[in-house]
Amino acid sequence: MKGTLLIQLILLLGAGSMLFLFIWRWHTAHTRAWKRIAFFVFVVANVYAVLRPDDVTWVAHHLGVGRGTDLVLYLLVVAVSFYALNTYMRFRSLEKQVTDLARAVALRDAMLLNSERLSSGQLSGGHLVTESLDPQAEVRSTASSSS
Amino acid sequence: MTRPFPHLGDAVNDYHDTWLVIPVYNEGQVIADVVEQALKVFPNIVCVNDGSSDDSAERILGTGAHLVQHPVNLGQGAALQTGLAYALAQPGAEFFVTFDADGQHQTPDAETMVALLRSDAADVVLGSRFIEQTEQVPMLKRVVLRTAAAVSPTARRLKLTDSHNGLRSLNRKAASQLRITMNGMAHASEIVGLLAHSDLRVTEVPVDILYTDYSRAKGQSLLNGVNILFDISLRERGRR
Repeated sequence: MKGTLLIQLILLLGAGSMLFLFIWRWHTAHTRAWKRIAFFVFVVANVYAVLRPDDVTWVAHHLGVGRGTDLVLYLLVVAVSFYALNTYMRFRSLEKQVTDLARAVALRDAMLLNSERLSSGQLSGGHLVTESLDPQAEVRSTASSSS
Repeated sequence: MTRPFPHLGDAVNDYHDTWLVIPVYNEGQVIADVVEQALKVFPNIVCVNDGSSDDSAERILGTGAHLVQHPVNLGQGAALQTGLAYALAQPGAEFFVTFDADGQHQTPDAETMVALLRSDAADVVLGSRFIEQTEQVPMLKRVVLRTAAAVSPTARRLKLTDSHNGLRSLNRKAASQLRITMNGMAHASEIVGLLAHSDLRVTEVPVDILYTDYSRAKGQSLLNGVNILFDISLRERGRR
């Protein structure tokens, strides 16, 4: 009973610190280094677990988990959520870069387009523009209602 | 954009210093009419076509509105930010109004808001569907939106009754402070959050919403509220 609580505590702490790490300071070089260390430890632990499965079971018993495979499963859950969060944050940052890029392109194109479109004669006040275009708008609305 | 006859503008209306920002995504059916209607009052309109797959861009080109085209679809929040950036770069722009493309907003409401800004009673004026006549909002939507406003700590802090209304107006100070980073629909909550943490004076006015069949069909699904909550809760903190 006490052992079950211990493994729960460990897994919850893992999940909690992961959330903290990734939401508050995931992009710093510091965090990136820790990610790499974690990956390295993960691989070494894997190799060890494959070679000496009994040792994993021994550790599992002492943590209050029944079998070694269960321990591996629990750790895998933590690792997968870690990966998912990491990917999500990565996408957010990529999305921001794409947005900035697209906005810069859109604004540059629009300055050119609109200065050509709206400065040639048409632009003596919104009113005149509207009136001259009203018949066209009617044609358009009838066209769209018939389709 | 330079105005060749500024005195003419004054005779027609007082809104040469006001810019309407309309994010557009697949609104080809109605956008031209909405823009024509709004142009009768507001001479300066910028439509941000957010990568529409229909003929929205051509429809806008047929009007007197400025057109900014996102090369790919980025979301309404991104379109608003782009439109504000474009309008801020125009000479003489002092007041900025965000306006929905589906025709559910009324220009008289926008005029009221700009008048409030002009009298320097506020830096930001938000439209609310709930200050007066609430019958026009469909029941289910009303319950959800009121809950959203009630559970949002920032909305409570600003004493807002409606945190998800697309009709907003800002003066130059407020518009240049606004940095919308939520590309999708979470931008509404983000804007309220930014306002709550700024020293801007925010006020709410009642607005009329026309819930036509068209806007009802286009309106965001209530399930999208889950997406909004997720995006907001996982927002990168402490970003510069």
